[in-house]
Amino acid sequence: MHRALTMTRRRIVSSIPVLLIVIVGTFLLLEAAPGDAVDAYLLSLGGGDAGLVAELRQSYGLDQSIVKRLTLYVGALLQLDLGWSVAFDRPVLDLIVERLPNTLWLMGAATALAFSLGSLLGIVAGARPGSLTDRTLSIGSLALYAVPSFWLGLVLVLVFAVDLRWFPTAGIETIASGKTGLARVADIAWHLALPVSALGFIYLALFLRMMRAGMAEAWRQDFVLSARAKGLARRRIVLRYVARNALLPLVTMLGLQAAAMLGGSVVVESVFAIPGFGRLAHEAVSGRDAPLLTGIIIVSAVLVIAVNLLVDIAYALLDPRVGSGEVAP
Amino acid sequence: MHSPEGVAGLCLIVLLAAMAFAAPLLYPGDPLAIVGRALTAPFTDPALPLGTDRLGRDVAAGLMHGARTSLLVGLATALVALAAGTLVGTVAGLAGGLMDEALMRVVDAFQIVPGFLLALAFVSVTGASLPVIILAIGLSAWTGPARLVRAEVLSIRERDYVAAARVIGMHPAEVALREVLPNALPPVLALTAVIVATAVLVEAALSFLGLGDPNVVTWGSMIAEGRNVLRTAPHLSMVPGLGLVATVLGVYLLGEGLADAMAGRKARG
Amino acid sequence: MTGFLISRRNLFLGTGALMTAALPMARAWAEDAPRGGRLVVAADSEPRSLNPAIVASNGVFFIASKVVEPLAEAMLDGEGGLAPRLATSWEGSEDGLSITFKLREGVTWHDGEPLTSADVAFSAMEVWKPLQNLGRVVFANLDTVETPDAHTAIFRFSAPTPIQLIRNALPVVTSVLPKHLYEGTDIAANPANKAPVGTGPFKFAEHRPGEYYRLTRNDAYWGEGLPKLDEIIFRVLPDRAAAGSALEAGEIQLAAFSQVPLVDLERIAKVPGLKVVTEGYEALTYQLVVEINHRNEILADRKVRQALSHAIDRDFVVDTVFLGYAQAATGPVPQNAPQFYNPDVKPYSFDIEGANRLLDEAGYPRGEDGKRFSLRLLPAPFFSETRQFGDYLRQALGKVGIDVTLVNNDTPAHLKAVYTDHDFDIAVGSPVFRGDPAISTTILVQSGIPDGVPFSNQGGYANAELDTIIDQATETIDTEARTALYNDFQRIVVEDLPLINVAEWGFTTVASDTVLNVGNNPRWAVSNWADTALSR
Repeated sequence: MHRALTMTRRRIVSSIPVLLIVIVGTFLLLEAAPGDAVDAYLLSLGGGDAGLVAELRQSYGLDQSIVKRLTLYVGALLQLDLGWSVAFDRPVLDLIVERLPNTLWLMGAATALAFSLGSLLGIVAGARPGSLTDRTLSIGSLALYAVPSFWLGLVLVLVFAVDLRWFPTAGIETIASGKTGLARVADIAWHLALPVSALGFIYLALFLRMMRAGMAEAWRQDFVLSARAKGLARRRIVLRYVARNALLPLVTMLGLQAAAMLGGSVVVESVFAIPGFGRLAHEAVSGRDAPLLTGIIIVSAVLVIAVNLLVDIAYALLDPRVGSGEVAP
Repeated sequence: MHSPEGVAGLCLIVLLAAMAFAAPLLYPGDPLAIVGRALTAPFTDPALPLGTDRLGRDVAAGLMHGARTSLLVGLATALVALAAGTLVGTVAGLAGGLMDEALMRVVDAFQIVPGFLLALAFVSVTGASLPVIILAIGLSAWTGPARLVRAEVLSIRERDYVAAARVIGMHPAEVALREVLPNALPPVLALTAVIVATAVLVEAALSFLGLGDPNVVTWGSMIAEGRNVLRTAPHLSMVPGLGLVATVLGVYLLGEGLADAMAGRKARG
Repeated sequence: MTGFLISRRNLFLGTGALMTAALPMARAWAEDAPRGGRLVVAADSEPRSLNPAIVASNGVFFIASKVVEPLAEAMLDGEGGLAPRLATSWEGSEDGLSITFKLREGVTWHDGEPLTSADVAFSAMEVWKPLQNLGRVVFANLDTVETPDAHTAIFRFSAPTPIQLIRNALPVVTSVLPKHLYEGTDIAANPANKAPVGTGPFKFAEHRPGEYYRLTRNDAYWGEGLPKLDEIIFRVLPDRAAAGSALEAGEIQLAAFSQVPLVDLERIAKVPGLKVVTEGYEALTYQLVVEINHRNEILADRKVRQALSHAIDRDFVVDTVFLGYAQAATGPVPQNAPQFYNPDVKPYSFDIEGANRLLDEAGYPRGEDGKRFSLRLLPAPFFSETRQFGDYLRQALGKVGIDVTLVNNDTPAHLKAVYTDHDFDIAVGSPVFRGDPAISTTILVQSGIPDGVPFSNQGGYANAELDTIIDQATETIDTEARTALYNDFQRIVVEDLPLINVAEWGFTTVASDTVLNVGNNPRWAVSNWADTALSR
């Protein structure tokens, strides 16, 4: 346990400069962008005269220099104030707190799906490397990986929501249903079924192939060879020795995929109209909303750091060979 | 390379490359030209075997020319990512100390920001053109190679022959070029497959959000446009989609076959 | 396919006549329409503010017009094209210096306070004139608003102001705000901008960001027997494919503003239980235009601009890009604005030979590679049709030897490039015709507009004759004389081509058969929906 604490502390300290790089980078990137928050807003206005444009810039503080805005922003950040979203005209923190849970549900469920189904199929495939089942599963999952998530999402909607009507086409829960407690959880789960599939199936291939590769490796290990020599049942060898050893590296994969899934949620949340983090990020970019985008990136960076920390702690606890050093990014 | 998957991957890639090279011969001129009635169904007009899209552009020409641009995007991204990653990884690994620390924090920064978000922000900031899109995807793809190369460099650095090279007075850069890099390359090549596949998919997702390059045909933009007519003309998104699946499969299988072959050689040697 | 296209186009053209004939029936229907029910509607965006008095845009009106009402609404067979709302009559003085509004009696705000002329005076002086994007222009010369009694408001202007202009602007610029909630506050930051309080048939209930807006029935509405519905829900569906799917799955009952892509309409019209309605957008005409940067010396040559216009096959654009749900434009005023439209202009035929000849004459012969010169084209990202037209235009101009590079931008980058930096040669734009050329159209060709004003002449075009006509028209009180000036305006614009008008389009609504009274006024999608009902 002590080791985990040391690791946590080290990780947090070393992530501070990383976050600073991220913050300054985001600010500079949006500063270099053609068009600012006022330009983005003017389309929704359908036009306005020169006076209005100038007034808007002034009220958003956009007439000040980048250095001044950046200092103000970092100063506020130190007091845990994420600033004010220009595009939504609300505090950034409110927006994030409102949207983050939806994305966490989506990502969590999609990860669980990809991990469990991926490793399960990986065991099936890796049980007999080179067999027909193995090849079919490997290639099938790869083909799935090659399907753009927005396209997969649309096809899922057409088949399961429009034609079969098993699931709703979009949204996070039934509108103004007044459901609470378990009924609400069930409602949300029902709404998330398709988006979770669209996101999870894409990453399934990664887990499947990693599991399979790990198992192929394990088959060559001495303890497996000796188990086979002892004449243990194949099923028993597969589950007890081979799969078990291959499963551990998969855990680190979870951490690596956190950032990728967050990116993938941008598209999936647009297709399924889920008010989540990814869609918010897209809106922040197209609204040239520097404080919001910076806030989102900081929070997602913190999220990724936290997930990786958890993964490393879990790894350290599961595998006593791992020291307190660097394990995974 | 003997695994059947590797051979299959090679065949797919050769086929795609052939398509890419043959495109200007079979379909000279602009693949975006309007050549027929809009939304002609496939297999109804011998001159337009795969039909036309919403504006009357030839889908077959798009598929062939799309192979060109899509493969270009994938390969160029991989090249950019590998070059940048190898450079940073080698420098960090060889230099060590504060330099290493600083460079790795930069790598961390790029790695914790979701790659797609970064690409999205970068493209909307700089404008959607093919080079920008390649660079944008490369921005998040270079961290993997950088980490890998650094790790390899660190592990190899202390080995006897590198130490020996240093003793005989070779410059660190020379050591890097001659001794360290060739050893670090195989796992990096395996990563290339992932980068190429991801690049093609990210390009598609950017087109979906309206940030593709409208002057060239890519499979990504064809799928993104075709999905609006998924109900009435599913072939418009499925034809380039199959191309995409073939590319990703080919690249992956070939990459794995190569990695296996190299590992085998290493084990034997 | 072709038959379908033609019939659609005829429908579009014949809308006006059809509507007038159908109206008496529609009204009888409205009274008999059943009461109650929840209507779920697709919304593709969430405006930052829901205050239509500050942001007079279709995105805001779509939701807010059910809650906050203007003085008058557009109506096809109404007097002057208007139906009274909060005002029951309006009369301009001979000298054009004042207009008197009589207000409806017995109207209360959603919080129970009575509506009085003080609310109108406050809205006009404190909001429309200083804060509103369009009101700043329309009410520029408004001096004071007098309130001799609780139900009379007299607008006094410092310079003659045409009653025709004010009348045409009434539905758009005169959303009335409650003075008692706004007075003494920072109007732009008032919480009522997000949860509007009005006099309309529906009260604002809640907004779940990213999910929906909910409006509920105003039991104290002044309209007898209205509204019909109990509840309206605007469900946020940002993806273009989502509205169609949700309609087919029965999750929503209505998608307006062409949220169902045009290309899907033919199929969806055949889905049992769904109908496609093209009426209800007659006063919301969007115009497809090619904006031209006259700073480019090639484009400064009128012959080149005329060649561009001849190179565009407008029928192809209407049939293929808009699938027949549009009509070819002849000039800067759309044909469904009969008050102003001048039919006596010479349209530009699709004539590649003519275009080639004009370009040769202008001194730009084809080079060795068949190309004359290169242009950078920036298609506006606002609609998929503007982008598709960009793709088409690149091909069309290639046919006459003009090499076009498309530059794809997102919205803020596009606005900055075209309207602030002037970093373009030609651009595809989509201005809206707002019922009077002075509100929306003249700004596209007038000179002397500062940089950075979006949807205005930023192409560096200056024509003294046009500027004079535009200035005269803003202070010509006589309706006939004013209309004549705008006829000249159209003739000159078509001749000189400061920009090229290609097509005009309204939107479509797809609704469940159960939704009654859809599209029964020319601004239907952004009107109050008091008579909209659900059959059982």
